[in-house]
Amino acid sequence: MLKESITRRNFIKGSASLTALLGLGAASSQAPKGLVPKAAAKTNGKVQQFYNACPRNCYDTCSILTTVEDGRITFITGNENNTYTKGRLCVKGNTYPRVVYSPDRIKYPMRQKGRGSGNWERISWGEAYTIISKKILEIKKEYGSTLPICLNKYSGNFNILNYATEGMMSSIGYTTRAQGTPCDPAGSDAQGFDMGVAYNSDPEHFLDADYIILWGANPAWTSAHSMYFIEQAKERGTKLVVIDPLITQTASKADEYIQIKASTDGALALGMIRYIFDHQLFDKNWVAENSIGFSEFFAYVNKNITVEWAAEKTGVPQAVIERLAREYATAKPANIWIGFGMQRHVNGGAMVRAIDALAAITGNIGKRGGGVNYIGGETWGFNYHTMSFGAPEGSGGEADRMVNMNNFGAQVLAADEPPIKMMWIACRNPIAQDPEPNVVKKAFDQMDLVVTADLYMTQTVEYSDIVLPVTTPFESVGINVSYWHYWMNVNEQAIKPLYEAKSDLEIAMGLSKKLNELAPGSCTFPTSGNPKEWVEKELNDEIKELFNIESWEDLRKKGGTAKANEKITVAWEDLKFRTPSGKYEFYSKKAVEYGHHPLPVFTEEYKAPKEYPIRCMSPHWKFGIHSQFQHQDWLMAIQDHPYLEINPELARKKGIQNNDIVKIINETGYMTLPAKLTKMVPPDTVVMYEGWWKGVNYTENITVKALAEDMGEYQKGQRGIAFHDNFVNIEKA
Amino acid sequence: MAKKLGFLVNIERCIGCHACEISCKSFYQLEPEMRRRRVTELPEDLVGTPVRAFVSTACNHCDEPACKNACPVGAYTKREDGIVVHNQELCIGCQMCGKACPYKVPVYNPVKRKMDKCSMCYERLDVGQLPICVEKCPLEAIQIVDYNEVQPENGVSIVPTFADPSITHPTTQFILPKPGKQTRRSS
Repeated sequence: MLKESITRRNFIKGSASLTALLGLGAASSQAPKGLVPKAAAKTNGKVQQFYNACPRNCYDTCSILTTVEDGRITFITGNENNTYTKGRLCVKGNTYPRVVYSPDRIKYPMRQKGRGSGNWERISWGEAYTIISKKILEIKKEYGSTLPICLNKYSGNFNILNYATEGMMSSIGYTTRAQGTPCDPAGSDAQGFDMGVAYNSDPEHFLDADYIILWGANPAWTSAHSMYFIEQAKERGTKLVVIDPLITQTASKADEYIQIKASTDGALALGMIRYIFDHQLFDKNWVAENSIGFSEFFAYVNKNITVEWAAEKTGVPQAVIERLAREYATAKPANIWIGFGMQRHVNGGAMVRAIDALAAITGNIGKRGGGVNYIGGETWGFNYHTMSFGAPEGSGGEADRMVNMNNFGAQVLAADEPPIKMMWIACRNPIAQDPEPNVVKKAFDQMDLVVTADLYMTQTVEYSDIVLPVTTPFESVGINVSYWHYWMNVNEQAIKPLYEAKSDLEIAMGLSKKLNELAPGSCTFPTSGNPKEWVEKELNDEIKELFNIESWEDLRKKGGTAKANEKITVAWEDLKFRTPSGKYEFYSKKAVEYGHHPLPVFTEEYKAPKEYPIRCMSPHWKFGIHSQFQHQDWLMAIQDHPYLEINPELARKKGIQNNDIVKIINETGYMTLPAKLTKMVPPDTVVMYEGWWKGVNYTENITVKALAEDMGEYQKGQRGIAFHDNFVNIEKA
Repeated sequence: MAKKLGFLVNIERCIGCHACEISCKSFYQLEPEMRRRRVTELPEDLVGTPVRAFVSTACNHCDEPACKNACPVGAYTKREDGIVVHNQELCIGCQMCGKACPYKVPVYNPVKRKMDKCSMCYERLDVGQLPICVEKCPLEAIQIVDYNEVQPENGVSIVPTFADPSITHPTTQFILPKPGKQTRRSS
């Protein structure tokens, strides 16, 4: 193992032989042991190891190896059987022991007297189930249906068994659901129109790319394991280009960084396309054989787009666009990764369609090492058994009612006939993570009962009536796949649940039991069951074949992690697109059906209002995934407060110096936070990072309006949020 | 010939993620505020074009360890392979080593009331395993090198924020990042 680790390393370009690097343990007379002795843990008891899966909303979805000594977790690290993560976790994953044993865990069910008062009292699970069940039955009686009950659940835990929460709601009747995603909707619609669905190639194939453009993606912070493959490719001679309005950590590693005006990426792609057309650098055979609508698109570009115009629009000099276009079009294969942040604009979907078109005309789609990679769902074909039980007989209403998760507060307030009176929140923190948090609070104010299941006292829990303590991944069973890599990971129960914590599945069974006690037949969800039996029910023949496993137990025995069959890891290799025509659609009738132009046309960006001329972006932060992780004391010890990144030029104009407290304001709200002067952001933009810092009154969304993206309905049911079209003013506080 | 083991930190590779620091903290179950390895932000203009750059450092296992010289109870030893080992059994927690070290490496453990520092995971090395920070860096940016055998091309002994190496002759070396091409809108 040691030898492998060393021979993998190639950054020493010296003359010495590899074996000279280190003595390979030869100095020692001690034989290697299975488990490494630790200074801190001296145990005579039982040492066990378990496979776990990080279930957070993250590209990397790591397979984990957990060491347990005498029933207590002593170390959590990556599972070496996984070739994507290679036995290593990101910084967040390395905090997992502290996530489990944090003094901040919610230990037992509690009821709050006065929402937001902090006046909590401990109650038993029985009492919690009874209060909730009685309210459900009361609502059902009063309104004739369970539609006044609203579920808001999303991405805090992507363990497939956590869909038990949705299943539990379906099992009591028709309810109101927060639908859509704040994540990828506009881009996913764009790729849906172009290719039928978003489908990315294996990130391990970055090694096969001749040229990589990271377009608004920052994997150094959001996908460290992908960044490894990109760095390896770079060392082998692959050129790395990063296009981003900000000098991100990833941009700092690029061979070439191109700073673009935010939300003009479509213009850059179209300008490159014009150059490629003019210089006959496009793949005529590819477009002839594999696409429809190419001639219409060709005509559109020639009539409407010039490179000069693109330069003016994007702030990228014409010569740079021309060189970039030539390099991209002549590299084989060339790989584009479109980040989610890039499409969080009012024209996000249109921009992704333009970038897709760039990849298509150069014949890069369907090629190993190439592609226009965004997100994928090819490995998610589970049974979703937990959602299969259906409404009980005599449920009022005919179907679930949808409200847009991305404008949750306003749509809950607007819901009528019947109004929404109760919320169940799981795997989410809407009061901090949603746009217009003050409107979300108002929606909470309208509720008779707000129940939140969580690990910690988040801003949303603080504003709830009842909190239910949930388990960490290490305390329950599950199975996970990624929307990026091609691995499936087992999650074993490594330790007993701490305190009185329960998994979402156990909560669903417990609530169903109580409902059926109080009103027999009122909930179809099973009232008992072994989680291992539940997880086995998620696997069908197709998914077992895809991963070459017989069962969850078989996957566990095989090392806890398995990769999908190679045949699906190159997106669109068979060039059978899932569009109505089966071809790549430059001209999409489906797009027209959803109210868009059929072609990947230029769409104007959102313009800054006169009073609020500064763009405020709120990208992901390296110590957090949304509001998870950063609040842990291990990370607070590194960075204990959020800050605002300001270009020194803008700071000078505003009389702001490093660490000055700055007020950031627009018509939606305001907040204050310290300034960090940096050239990493352009002078017309400030940046504050997403996250929950313990003890700090902060949400990056306080000035974010529920301004819709251009797309999202086709693939996700609802449009997304233009998080980065947030315009503000700043002043020294 | 005896070894001279030291860390080689590739700043070109480092993404400043702190996984080295936190995996170490996790493995050794350190108190939340304690660090055996730390990641420090470097000046933006380090390489000419502005970039986000970081350096990860731990104990530098110096040739002339100031900690060892300052310790009144002989808790420090320098192994033949160059690793500076602190024996917590002998430590009286007087913190003289922490004051003497130009890199402020030894830190106080408030629970044990003793000093604590990076051991280069010698227990792991002795059984043929890599130090945790080396093994767990997602970018493979940290390495152990026998500097008596290897002089890495581009290796340097000093980076901004790092104390003058002439005082204690640290063994750590760094590989500086290469500037990339940038097209920036202004400033």
